[in-house]
Amino acid sequence: MKWNLEKTEDSNNNKNFYSSRPMADDEVVDPKKYLEESCNPKCVKPLLEYQACVKRIQGDDSGHKHCTGQYFDYWQCIDKCVAPKLFTKLK
Amino acid sequence: MVGGGVIQQILRRKLHSQSVATPVLSWFSSKKAHVDAGSSGVRAFALLGAGVTGLLSFSTVASADEAEHGLACPDYPWPHDGILSSYDHASIRRGHQVYQQVCASCHSMSLISYRDLVGVAYTEEEAKAMAAEIEVVDGPNDEGEMFTRPGKLSDRLPQPYANESAARFANGGAYPPDLSLITKARHNGQNYVFALLTGYRDPPAGISIREGLHYNPYFPGGAIAMPKMLNDEAVEYEDGVPATEAQMGKDVVSFLSWAAEPEMEERKLVDGFQVDIPTIAGSAPSSVLQATEMVGSQVPEAGS
Repeated sequence: MKWNLEKTEDSNNNKNFYSSRPMADDEVVDPKKYLEESCNPKCVKPLLEYQACVKRIQGDDSGHKHCTGQYFDYWQCIDKCVAPKLFTKLK
Repeated sequence: MVGGGVIQQILRRKLHSQSVATPVLSWFSSKKAHVDAGSSGVRAFALLGAGVTGLLSFSTVASADEAEHGLACPDYPWPHDGILSSYDHASIRRGHQVYQQVCASCHSMSLISYRDLVGVAYTEEEAKAMAAEIEVVDGPNDEGEMFTRPGKLSDRLPQPYANESAARFANGGAYPPDLSLITKARHNGQNYVFALLTGYRDPPAGISIREGLHYNPYFPGGAIAMPKMLNDEAVEYEDGVPATEAQMGKDVVSFLSWAAEPEMEERKLVDGFQVDIPTIAGSAPSSVLQATEMVGSQVPEAGS
């Protein structure tokens, strides 16, 4: 990741204070979202199950059918993958 | 043990298919009938089979409501989890900043005073300055009147609403709970709060949430009144740490953990290498515990 070194002022207006920010338009990337995306390949099976469920209930108008089970299975898989790694990316 | 194994198999079958109650029952009964020759034994097992079928049909209906319990949250490796680990005080300081700027407009923390923050997250001067920013009602004075004054260290953190009714009225009927003990007041509190705060997602297909509520899979029932509050860079940290959603979540949960268990560090020091649970040997004099502190791992025994 490229680092953008810029001269900034600290609260005492000292101009020799360098701060660094990751590039990409000065936007911070949330590590949790990033890890969730990178864990996607590990959880393909529950994801496919969920997508199959979505397709199955598409025509339903009764309002009683839902895919909570498959959704939970998928997110549980992602969470299990993300949790051990997340805090290493945080301060 | 055979009976237990048979029940396991039946449950596994039941969870995969919807409507095999009757064949399962007869299969179960016939299997047992071979094992036990007496006729009363067969009748007993037939009754047991009926009971099992009843139980199985109940479990099928109940499993459809997993949203009721909420998605189970994962376990995160909190830095203060270890048996001798202390809090990350820089994280507590940032977490208080998040609380103050994001959460305090709706959530009270009425058990925490400004003086509690001294030495934990702020210096005495900083805490005094923070306290002085709020107005506190005090009195009555010599004339019998209530008056307002700037806050002092001994004052509690300010409450956003005068009472629960006002809080409910301002939040569509929902009461934003006091956060002083929240990580102890919820099952697997620290992990639950972190998962909840960072877990706002689109609902699954087929689920619609009414106007005014938001979907959160970790919240029991799935529909929570609080909207997503942690957004990237919602807060600008004093120490320059990038305020991503996950970072703010971690910091605010560290702060809430400290708020619920400020004695944790001292408790771990006293327990030493002993099992870190509130001691069940309440009657044992503290000198005994301190004497045994360094002698390998020991578990205090009740009544000893």
